[in-house]
Order: sequence, then C-alpha cells, then structure tokens
Amino acid sequence: MDILLQNIIEDGFFAAMAAIGFASISHTPPRTFIVCGLAAAAGHALRYVMMSPSLGNIHIVLASTAAAFVIGLIAVLLAPVVRVPAEACLFPSLLPMIPGMYAYRSIEALISCVSSASPDNAGSLYSLAFNSITCLLIVLGMVIGANIPIFLFKKISFQATR
Amino acid sequence: MSSTISTPVADGYTLADAGDFIADYTAWLWGCGATCTRIEKNAGRIARALGYDICITIMPKHISLTLSDPSAGCRAIYQRAMVNCGINFDLNARLSALSWKIADKKLSFSQARQLLEEIIATPYPTTQLTVLLTSLANASFCRLFGGDADAMLVVFAATFAGFELKGMLLKAGLDVRLVFMMCAFVSTIVAVGAQLFGWGATPDIAIATSVLYLIPGVPYINSASDLIDRHYLCAMSRFMDACVLTACLSIGMCAGLSLMELSSI
Repeated sequence: MDILLQNIIEDGFFAAMAAIGFASISHTPPRTFIVCGLAAAAGHALRYVMMSPSLGNIHIVLASTAAAFVIGLIAVLLAPVVRVPAEACLFPSLLPMIPGMYAYRSIEALISCVSSASPDNAGSLYSLAFNSITCLLIVLGMVIGANIPIFLFKKISFQATR
Repeated sequence: MSSTISTPVADGYTLADAGDFIADYTAWLWGCGATCTRIEKNAGRIARALGYDICITIMPKHISLTLSDPSAGCRAIYQRAMVNCGINFDLNARLSALSWKIADKKLSFSQARQLLEEIIATPYPTTQLTVLLTSLANASFCRLFGGDADAMLVVFAATFAGFELKGMLLKAGLDVRLVFMMCAFVSTIVAVGAQLFGWGATPDIAIATSVLYLIPGVPYINSASDLIDRHYLCAMSRFMDACVLTACLSIGMCAGLSLMELSSI
C-alpha cells in the first residue's frame, strides 16, 4: 500500500512538472504555473488510481475523461484567482495526458503500412487502427470531460479576466 | 478589406473603425490559439459595447464579420487573414481582459485601439528558463511512461538540444514543418545514445519520449473543443495541422533511427 501511495504521489509530482514545462512553451503567464501544476497533479494521479489494476482497472479513455473533468473543475474555479481565461490553466494541465505515444505510433504504423506489400505486414494495419482510434478517443474524452465544468460554470469561465 | 460605410457615432468612432478593430482583434485571438467559442464571445462583447450587432464566420485561414448598426440601419463586412503567431496564452489572457475593459466602459475606443496595438507588439522571446522547464517537463514525461533516472537524463539532454535548435531555426524563418523534422531528428540521435552506450534499463522509453515535447497538444485539444461547439471546419483544420506536425516529427524520428541503424523502438 505504501508503494502504491508513493507511486500515486510520484505520478502527480511528475505530471505537475510536465504541465508547468508545457505551460511555459505556450507563454502562459507565470502566475498560472501553480494552478496548472496543481490541476495536472490531481488529474493525472486520479487517472493513475483509476487505471491501476489493483484499484480501479478502468480503461484509459474513461479514466482520462474523468481526470479531465477534475482538471477542468480546478482550472475553471481557480482561473479568476490568477485572472486568466480558463483555457490558460486548463490546456497546459491536460497536456501530460495527451496520448503522444499513441499519436506517434499511429504515424509510425502508417509509414510501416506502405513499407512492404507483403500480407505479413498486416500487423501494421492493426497497429494503425488501434493506436489512432485510441488516440482520438482519449483526446475526445479529455476535451468532453474538461468542457463540462466550463459549461456548468459558464459565468465564471468567461468572466475570469474581467 | 471592407466595404466603406462610415456612420459617425458617439465617442469618436465609426462603423468602419469598429469593424477594423474587431477584425484585427479576432485575427490575433485566433492566432494565439483561442477556441472558436471564445472568439465569438469576446468579439460579440466588444461589438455590443460599441453599439453594434455582429455575425462572425470563422474560416481556417480567414475571418469574416458582418457588423450592423441597428439605429442607422446600415451594415458592413470586414475580413482579415488569420495571424500566425503561435500558441500564446498570455496574449489570449490580455486580449480577453481588453474585451472586458471595453464592455465595462473602462476604456474609450481610442484607448482600446492603442492598448490592442501595445498587446500585439509585445515580443515573446524563448528564454533559457523556458528551455530548461521544457526539458524538465519532457524528462518528467519520460518518468510517467516508466523511464528510469538515466533515461530521464538522456531525455533532458535530447529535449534541450532539440528545443534550442527549434528556437534557432524558427528565428531563421524556416518552415515550421521542416523545423519539426529536424528537431525530432536531433533529439532522436541524442536519445539513441542511451541505447548505444547501454545507459539505464529503459533506453527504449528514452528514445520514444525524447520527441514528445514536439507533439502539438494544444491544437489537438482546440480541435476537439471546436468539434464539440460544432465549428467543424475549424476543428478539421486544426486537427489536420496537428496531424501534419505529428507526421513531420515522426519522419524526423524515423530518419534518426534509420541513421543509427535501429529499425524501431
């Protein structure tokens, strides 16, 4: 149990680091970094718990959607505190959950598909379908999850910079 | 870029002035990576505050807005090419704040125009702190995918080299797609060092995550966000842009792996 707790904390910590770094690439105001880190840590750690075979064992698409909802909630509620649009807190916090490996592997499989005409190469087609569909569903689930708080708290979301 | 109808209104601006202002504003808001919902809301807020009705058509490369003055019964169409300034949430925040200042009558029209000029003239250079934070972020990514400390160090170095190169090449005016290919190539070559020299137990994770800092995450999220709001053309355009960049980084990575004689990871 101690190791699991350590893993959850570690997951949240590194997700926060990743969110802050990616926030800096997008020229997010530095006052927003702490909110991005907090939201990313909470969301990513939740996803880790939900996906963990010994705890939730939930599929990555559903887990990402639920985690994005939590990230959205934190971002929307704290955006007025740092006076930035909700997206400025939300998007960098979501970035650590972007399925980059699935996206990369989809393109790799696409290139592999045309590299050989042999029927033995059918695995590339399977890899392309699996990775691209999973990638699309994760991103879609994340955005749906993250947008629910924006619609629930419309007034807060769009008046954060007022 | 507009049909010229100049109806003088109070506070020293005309329909044409307001149209030009909102067209510039929306083109920059799109350029900095705002969602279509935000563009419509902010532009509508400004138009209402200035006493006009607005109808916006957002296309992937251009924006078209129809501004009408209900009291004078006249209308005009304004178009602008979208600005390509890269994802910038600080710009997004400042432009959104500007729309509220206009809506709350805290600024006159001329002051608002001046503030817009100041906002869009602000330079946003890539600082060494950004390079450091990005490298740390990608090393953290490596950890999240199960990489060990050696792999994290290698990814840090690979990201640092690639990101520095990205800044230099973009400054030199190279096409962004070519820049992505070259950066992915360099990062992969650096990361392959972990495999060649037998550093750590997870060199494959180091190689795979070394290019993830190039994944265009914000355009992917923006695309899905526009899709939900039924802006299908913009959603598809943003998605295709992101896919092209992902393909470019994959090509760069494959070239790097081929050069180092690794068929795949």
